[in-house]
Amino acid sequence: MGFVLLAVPVIAVVLFFLLKKMQYQHAVSVTASIILVILGAFLTREVMLYGTVEYTALGGIFYIDALSIIVLDIVVIIGFLTSVYSIGYLEEELREGKLDQGRLRIYYILMYAFIFTMLLALTVKNIGIMWVAIEATTLSSAFLVGFYNGKDAIDAAWKYIIICSVGIGIALLGIIFLQFSSIGVVESSQFLDWTALFNNAADLKGPTLRLSFIFILVGFGTKVGLAPMHTWLPDAHSQAPSPISTLMSGVLLNGAMYGIIRIVAIINHSFGNSIFVGRIMVTVGVLSVATAAVFVFTQKDYKRMLAYSSIEHMGIIAIAIGFFTPLSIFGGLLHMINHSFTKSMLFLSTGNILQKYNTKEISKIRGMFKLLPVTATVFLLGLFAIGGAPPFSVFTSELLVISSIFQENNFLVGGLLILLIAIIFTGIVVTMFKMFYGNEIPRETSPGEGNIPGVVTIVGLLVIITAMGLYIPGELKGLIENAVKIIIGG
Amino acid sequence: MSNYLDALSVLLLISAFVLMGNKRTNAYIKSFKMQSILIAILTGVMGINSLLKDGHVDMLVVCAVVIGIKVIYIPYLLNKTCKNVAYRVEKDFYFNIPILILGCCFIVVFTYFSLSTTTGINSGNINMQVINSVSLILIGLFFMISRKKAIGLIIGFLVIENGIFVTALFATQGMPFIVDMGILMDILVAVIIMGMMAFRIDEKFVSTDGNKIKDLRG
Amino acid sequence: MVEAVYLIVQISVIILIAPLVNGIIKKIKALTQKRTGGPLLQMYYDLFKMLKKTAVVSDVSSWIFKVTPFIVFSTAVAAALIVPVTTLIKPRWFPGDLIMLVSIFALGRFFMMLAALDAGSTFGGMGASREAMISSLIEPSIIVSLITVGLIAKSTSVFEIMNFMQEIHNPLIHPVYIMSFCALVIIIIAETSRIPVDDPGTHLELTMVHEAMVLEYSGRNLALMELGAAIKQLVFITLLVNIFIPHDQLINITGFAGIGISLLVYLLKIVVVSIVIAIAEVSTVKLRLFSIPNLAALSFILSFIGFLQYFVFGG
Repeated sequence: MGFVLLAVPVIAVVLFFLLKKMQYQHAVSVTASIILVILGAFLTREVMLYGTVEYTALGGIFYIDALSIIVLDIVVIIGFLTSVYSIGYLEEELREGKLDQGRLRIYYILMYAFIFTMLLALTVKNIGIMWVAIEATTLSSAFLVGFYNGKDAIDAAWKYIIICSVGIGIALLGIIFLQFSSIGVVESSQFLDWTALFNNAADLKGPTLRLSFIFILVGFGTKVGLAPMHTWLPDAHSQAPSPISTLMSGVLLNGAMYGIIRIVAIINHSFGNSIFVGRIMVTVGVLSVATAAVFVFTQKDYKRMLAYSSIEHMGIIAIAIGFFTPLSIFGGLLHMINHSFTKSMLFLSTGNILQKYNTKEISKIRGMFKLLPVTATVFLLGLFAIGGAPPFSVFTSELLVISSIFQENNFLVGGLLILLIAIIFTGIVVTMFKMFYGNEIPRETSPGEGNIPGVVTIVGLLVIITAMGLYIPGELKGLIENAVKIIIGG
Repeated sequence: MSNYLDALSVLLLISAFVLMGNKRTNAYIKSFKMQSILIAILTGVMGINSLLKDGHVDMLVVCAVVIGIKVIYIPYLLNKTCKNVAYRVEKDFYFNIPILILGCCFIVVFTYFSLSTTTGINSGNINMQVINSVSLILIGLFFMISRKKAIGLIIGFLVIENGIFVTALFATQGMPFIVDMGILMDILVAVIIMGMMAFRIDEKFVSTDGNKIKDLRG
Repeated sequence: MVEAVYLIVQISVIILIAPLVNGIIKKIKALTQKRTGGPLLQMYYDLFKMLKKTAVVSDVSSWIFKVTPFIVFSTAVAAALIVPVTTLIKPRWFPGDLIMLVSIFALGRFFMMLAALDAGSTFGGMGASREAMISSLIEPSIIVSLITVGLIAKSTSVFEIMNFMQEIHNPLIHPVYIMSFCALVIIIIAETSRIPVDDPGTHLELTMVHEAMVLEYSGRNLALMELGAAIKQLVFITLLVNIFIPHDQLINITGFAGIGISLLVYLLKIVVVSIVIAIAEVSTVKLRLFSIPNLAALSFILSFIGFLQYFVFGG
């Protein structure tokens, strides 16, 4: 069943090549994503029942446990929502003449190639193949970033592919050192095998392991968008088509973060919860949040603004992983889920705004409540949610992370985090809220929502994040607790 | 055997220095090709060794793929891109070459001092080989920093990947076979995409000068 | 007795073979350009011809101008004594060492530059200043690369180094020696005015370096200068091949037969190196003068990293 999960996007790509008609392509896309969601649900049930899903085929390469299933579910659900949204979005783009049929096909092919590589990264046991898949996500999404072919879009795509490829290359060096530290500890047939490394973590060579962690953090951290390596992220997110920004922010960043979490688990298991990893992760995390806090005030482009907010939330997750207590990891994983849904909702809303106003500049957008009543409402509530206002889900998980920090008696980091989150909230409010009011509506545009599937999607997401903020289902809680157990071990 | 590996690791380092001293994009590609040939020889030597010792043919297959991708196809592709990108300037570096080469020297010394104090790596005769190959990676990064042009950046990226590949060979006798293959495929696709993008950058604003990407700051 | 043999063999072999190297290079270059080219021994004929002619000396020049050809020639011959063509002749005392060798060449070059300035022509001054620049750039790497080899052999005597290298199985697969070898190749190109640095075949005012300095000379003075340059080139090539590609350990015969075989092998190596140089010259172009620091930096770094690797590998 697990291999079917990987086969579905591949079959979808083949069908996109074969089917020329637009309606068929939309149909294939939505069908494939629905099948993925169903398979995801099935695998989730398996994981809940048996703990892990493993097959002996292909050298036991396939492996899912509670940690990967959480990220995998995020991928398939956001993939589904994005493909539904894309129908309306692409129809609108076609109508405006920004795309033609051929480009639309390329869009779908690359999108499903991206989803395939993402799923591959999450379902393998071998860290080396995980690296290959994560690098492949960069490659498959590079053209999507530069999809509109404008000067800025190509610049952003170039920056994205160069910075991420080099960064991820450094992660490969780290993985090599990881393998080096395991020589003589694990058998050569099990090199880079996550479970083998985790179980034998105590015997790995310490200094090499430290070196490997630093390289891997820098490498995957580039992909996650942690602070000093974040420079590609705002450009790529602002230049990509909105559904792709959604996939990147909601899926790609989590996938890379998943890689870091796996490595941190091995290293903390080896060093017995040393302060080494925690200190680095917390420093990088705080730096990311601080970077976001500074840049949020100077943004003129609302998609870039959201991109900086993504950096902030990835920083928060890094801090949560850095503290490495059961509560903080629980909060971190929950935050990953909540951030993905909330940020997806926001980025999908920006797609509607962009199509209506044809500009990304905040200063040129006025009177959104009049022109786009539903999108504006969702976007406004979404901004509150992403800023961390109750009753939305991001609030819950941020509260969990911060209280876990205080539980560790680290008032400095906790206080700093609260302060920075407050600053970012203010920044978002100050710069973005002018978009919603005002009467000076551009002449060519008429009120009303254009993208009906898109509106349905974002309203659905709003319902999800509100519900998640009020109540966490017991199954999800159990799943996250299992994941925490896997990370901490024992 | 170890003697030949030592020699090859040093030759790889020399090829990186030579690359750093190059001025034209054609010369970059030539130096990269030389470096790839050295890597193919290295893989071949290790492959024959493992064939004789354990009867594995994995490394020889990797060697064949390295020859196919790194020695033949990627230089051909880069040459094609280079021809398409019509806009050429003689000088595309920020500092003059002697300073860059001295910088490379500092990189090697730095790597030597940082890795020789790390226990675990400092065991047995792989020591200098790992130092040389890690220096190769850092020189690749330095090359990317020092060059303005898209082709220079692509070559720098490839040198980094070469360095990583060699580090894997020296430090761990190669990654698992399937991982090696995946890495090589990734590099191939990455270079194809980068080549296409360099071409498109050229189409859009007549220059593949990364320095001119100024609008996306902040 | 042995010393006398050493002196005779050393001087005669080096002086006799030196013009041949130029001849081979020129012939190969001519052949690759589909020309017949001059005969292989052309340089010998030129030298004989020039030695028979009297020299024209400018009125304004001082004694330096007249003395320089002799100094250049005698320093070259003195250098030739330091670098043995075969290690099978073992003199009890051995003259000079690496540092001496470098200094002797420096003396010759110093007088050559003075003489070029002395004649008062613009080209001479230009050539001298260029030569000063190149040599000041290249000298550090000569010292570092040779000293690295010397440190490993625990002696600065060329003879001892050559003996030491014979005991190492194939030095050219050894990292330190690869580095020093590559550095020395670049040094030799620069020192002997070969193509990427200087073009020996040109008299174009924009590019010539060595030729500009000997432009004022004629007759037997010119012959001495040219022969001195050829000897210097051969001494450097000898240094390279006898240190890094030693062959005397393979010869088990002692006595004159052994020496003869050794010299034949040596001659073979020189011919091969000349052919390689010719091919390299054909396939590259001369660098701009301002690109020469790049080459010098590369050479210096190679020798320095070789030095560094010596401390890691321990020779």
